[in-house]
Amino acid sequence: MATSELISGREIVGTPSDTRSAFFKARYLGSPLMMDIEYIKHLTASHKLTEGMEVLERRATDHAYALSKMTAVIHENDLLAGNKTRFIRGAIPYVNYAADPFLKEMRKEEQDAQSKYAEQGEGGGIKNSRAEAALNGFRLVSEKFLLSAEDYGQFEEICEYWEDKCFMEQGNRLWKTQFGNAAFIENGWKIGLYSAPHEPCPEGRLILDFETALAKGYLTIIRETEEKIHSFQPENIADSEKIHFWKASITVLHGAIALVESYAAQAETLAKTEINPLRKEELLQMAEVCRHVPMESPRNFREAIQSFWFTYLLGHIEGSHLGYSPGRLDKVLYPYYKNDPDITPEKATTLFEEMFVKMTQIEYIASLSWQGLGHGNLYQNLILGGIDENGERSDNEVSLAILQAQINMQLTQPTLSVWWDEKLDTDFLMKAAECVKTGVGYPAFFNQNTYIQHELKTSGLPLEVIRKNCAIGGCTEPTLQGMSHGIVQAGFVNHGKMIDLVMNQGVDPFTGIRMAESRQPATFEDVRKYYIDIMHDAIRNWQQYWNIVMVAHRNTVPLVFCSVFVNDCLAKGKCMDDGGALLNQSITTLSSGLVNVANSLAVIKKLCYDDTVCSFEELRFAVNENWKGFEPLRKKALAVPHWGNDDNYIDNIFLDLFDEYCDWVSGQDNYLGKPYDPSMLAISTPVPFGKVCNAFPDGRMKGESLADGVTSPFPGTDMFGPTAVIRSSSKVDHTRIRGGLLNLKFHPSALKGESGSKNMLALIQTYFEKPGFHVQFNVVDSRMLLDAQLHPENYRDLVVRVAGFSAYWVEMSKALQDQVIWRTEHSL
Amino acid sequence: MNGTILTIQHYAVHDGPGIRTLVFMKGCPLRCSWCCNPESQSAQPQLRYLKFHCKACLECVEHCPTASVSASDDGMQRSFDECNICESKVCIEKCNNNAITLSGKEITADELVKAIALDIPFYRNSGGGVTFSGGEPLMQPAFLLEVLKECKTLEIHTAIETCGWAGRKSLQDIIPFTDLFLFDLKIMDPELHQIHTGMPIGPILENLAFLASQNADIIIRVPLVPGITDTLPNMESIAEIMHANGLEQICLEPYHSLGQAKYEEHGLKYSLEHLGLYNMQQINVLCDFFTLRGLICEVA
Repeated sequence: MATSELISGREIVGTPSDTRSAFFKARYLGSPLMMDIEYIKHLTASHKLTEGMEVLERRATDHAYALSKMTAVIHENDLLAGNKTRFIRGAIPYVNYAADPFLKEMRKEEQDAQSKYAEQGEGGGIKNSRAEAALNGFRLVSEKFLLSAEDYGQFEEICEYWEDKCFMEQGNRLWKTQFGNAAFIENGWKIGLYSAPHEPCPEGRLILDFETALAKGYLTIIRETEEKIHSFQPENIADSEKIHFWKASITVLHGAIALVESYAAQAETLAKTEINPLRKEELLQMAEVCRHVPMESPRNFREAIQSFWFTYLLGHIEGSHLGYSPGRLDKVLYPYYKNDPDITPEKATTLFEEMFVKMTQIEYIASLSWQGLGHGNLYQNLILGGIDENGERSDNEVSLAILQAQINMQLTQPTLSVWWDEKLDTDFLMKAAECVKTGVGYPAFFNQNTYIQHELKTSGLPLEVIRKNCAIGGCTEPTLQGMSHGIVQAGFVNHGKMIDLVMNQGVDPFTGIRMAESRQPATFEDVRKYYIDIMHDAIRNWQQYWNIVMVAHRNTVPLVFCSVFVNDCLAKGKCMDDGGALLNQSITTLSSGLVNVANSLAVIKKLCYDDTVCSFEELRFAVNENWKGFEPLRKKALAVPHWGNDDNYIDNIFLDLFDEYCDWVSGQDNYLGKPYDPSMLAISTPVPFGKVCNAFPDGRMKGESLADGVTSPFPGTDMFGPTAVIRSSSKVDHTRIRGGLLNLKFHPSALKGESGSKNMLALIQTYFEKPGFHVQFNVVDSRMLLDAQLHPENYRDLVVRVAGFSAYWVEMSKALQDQVIWRTEHSL
Repeated sequence: MNGTILTIQHYAVHDGPGIRTLVFMKGCPLRCSWCCNPESQSAQPQLRYLKFHCKACLECVEHCPTASVSASDDGMQRSFDECNICESKVCIEKCNNNAITLSGKEITADELVKAIALDIPFYRNSGGGVTFSGGEPLMQPAFLLEVLKECKTLEIHTAIETCGWAGRKSLQDIIPFTDLFLFDLKIMDPELHQIHTGMPIGPILENLAFLASQNADIIIRVPLVPGITDTLPNMESIAEIMHANGLEQICLEPYHSLGQAKYEEHGLKYSLEHLGLYNMQQINVLCDFFTLRGLICEVA
């Protein structure tokens, strides 16, 4: 039993299950980031010829043409066919969505008001790209992607072609001239109240109906759609629109099949000249699989994976996605696993290892701001476990194989999640805990029942339907797979900026732009009301602006291929943008930074009105001086209860603001005529949002990041450990919003061994009984501890866990911290 | 009733089963040279000075009513003899950088139970509970007993980590309300025990035998200190004592020097600077030693 250590490092260190998987991972890690203009070049060529065609049919024709022209690249050792680009790590520039950021970059202009705050990362593939650019005469685009000089010239022409035709420009023409509060939006960008324009990558948070795609196969869907057209009896003029969508659907499916057939042909060609008999056999097998799926139903597990991958990839190619997701893949693939006598857990794991590398290889290129916000992550969320339509647990052998593949590979994609339910199998949960302990940060845990309750309240869909289809699309946004409009939203609203406005009579302290009327609050209620009114304006304008933009979306880049696989688009004869999906209130309004608002209001209430330690004016002055010369006052501000300590003084303020936000968001209908759903999440917004904000009354300094997540405390202000954070967080009614994330940091020794895993699972269970919605564990590594040395204020609550020993990280001298880092690194 | 504690640590996972709340109590009769919580030894609250937080603003020097802090080259210099931790504690209040803090605070039994009870759902789902550590919890017997009783009323699993030096009556009183004893054994040789801990071992062994005779649930904890507790004869004696008392579970706590800085911060002297640290192999060998003698051995 001598297994434990004083302070441990990573307990679980996985290795790829065979040399092929190891090769894939190494190849990925050593590859530069490439921009591939092939798809957009062909799409543009077609677009020039389809002028005047009905919108949906034109979009389908252009996309199908581009698909049929794409090069089918099969890389060395590949068993799974299908790549988004010709390169290992490649991105398609979707200038049909937004040409503007690229043109501005070429013209050396600033892309948008926030691009200067975007952080692009420096290491890994980005480093490789920059080195290669310097060596081989490539042009560097969007700070990290390589493009050959020849392609660069072509790309410039393509961008110019789309300059006035792309979604973004068409949208701008609408809202900038027709929306009464257009100036509010533009000023909102200038001051950082809103994240940068989202048009470069608006799609995502979408999950297709892979179950049907696999079971029916494309040929059956084409046949059924043709029958619909033949038997169609329009009852009114508007009905005739259906024909367009159906015809577009058939066109786009044929285009998809053309690309698949290119892969089959390429595999056959390669097989002919292959001298290694084993590889030859593999290529012939790949060809055979590609001749069968996704056109028809898979005959075994491997074909099921290939069929899924093609449909997934084809949906990915169609739009500029961020958060487009595979959903409940374990559940979808299980019937094929169960019925395949030759598949083993090990073989399945190996297949997933290759697929996960392929998912990680997909890059996205957008505006610098949005690249920074996503940090290169595509948020392809694969969620395991949960219960099925009958309320029975649906974790299975495929779930275990997927977890094992991620443990072995430790890749940034897919974003792995678990739907939590009491009924889940213990072995499955222990395997999930094992995966967390690799330090990869996955899986995140989501409470399935919380989201089920949300959809029962807001959608009115039957319980069985919600249970069966609920999944996570993107980072933490729950949705119903195969039946929801993707969450095509405007971007993020920065609650933190509203504090700046409250503190400065409605004027942004950096730009001097007035965003709200001037007020002199005399009571705490006045302060609160001032914030609420500013929040109301910020949200409502943002929603109304986006409703107009989405008209342009419908007219430029409606998703046709994706609509084919979202119910009930085909049955209704409508694409998603026309309301074809069954769930249309899925267009959420996203925001982040509410914790800082609540903390700040608590400080104002306590110091200015309850205890009258200082006046509101004095506090404003201190904040505008970035607390310089006001250190004693800042100490008092920090001593006021902050969110995350289970203290009702602050927690009630947070809950009040949370309710106000939810009520207000759902008071506006979206462009599909359903109420907007409230949602809060963060991705990387706390960093750039914090950079544009002044110091806050809660003690935060100017430019510091905002609180992470949604209910995560501001770094360093939670004093009573993770259980107090959870007690605070569980006061929130998570059924009101879609998303609501909580990140917890743990030193590896706190999760060590079987008992460590069990304690972690008990923690999750306790939070979800309350009920919470999401929790994610970051296992502290030595890199994080080095950061903790530089920024101790962010790690106030980090406890170095040694039996019977009492010490917080920030109370340890540098020499001792070094010792802990050394031990963490060396697994002692 | 009031007690004096250092801190309450939530989500503690190394001192008893499941997710626990760890209460560090002030005051210990022993003075072990390897102690990693030296600030727990004195029963009184103590000032702590974190030099690396100090920005040398000297506000404390200016306001100290007893002139027991003075300016030094790079911060403040505190005279521990003259500072009697005055009522005003003005130096703490005046410090904007949290460089001066107080180790130890008074708390009522009710307040402590309330803090412990906050995490009941976590205990229930993990099989956890509360562990009283320190310091020596039995240095505050009446307070401990009251808190333990209240915890049992709330059906919370209770554990105490004890050095075994306690009055027989105090020990007897808490048995019905204590689910688990984490009982420290250090040095079996009476003379060496006296030298390294400052107290005789006799009463400790008698208390252990008494607890065992009452069928208390006991895990022996041994701090592994190079050359002091990890000698073969000492370990052999510990194994023998355990067999004699019918005990099976032992937990080794390898020496670490993480507590070292806390000595200086509290104006105390650390005497083990020369000691080396264990590596995994050495710990495994020591653990095997007990496993081979039929004991269930874990490493904390």
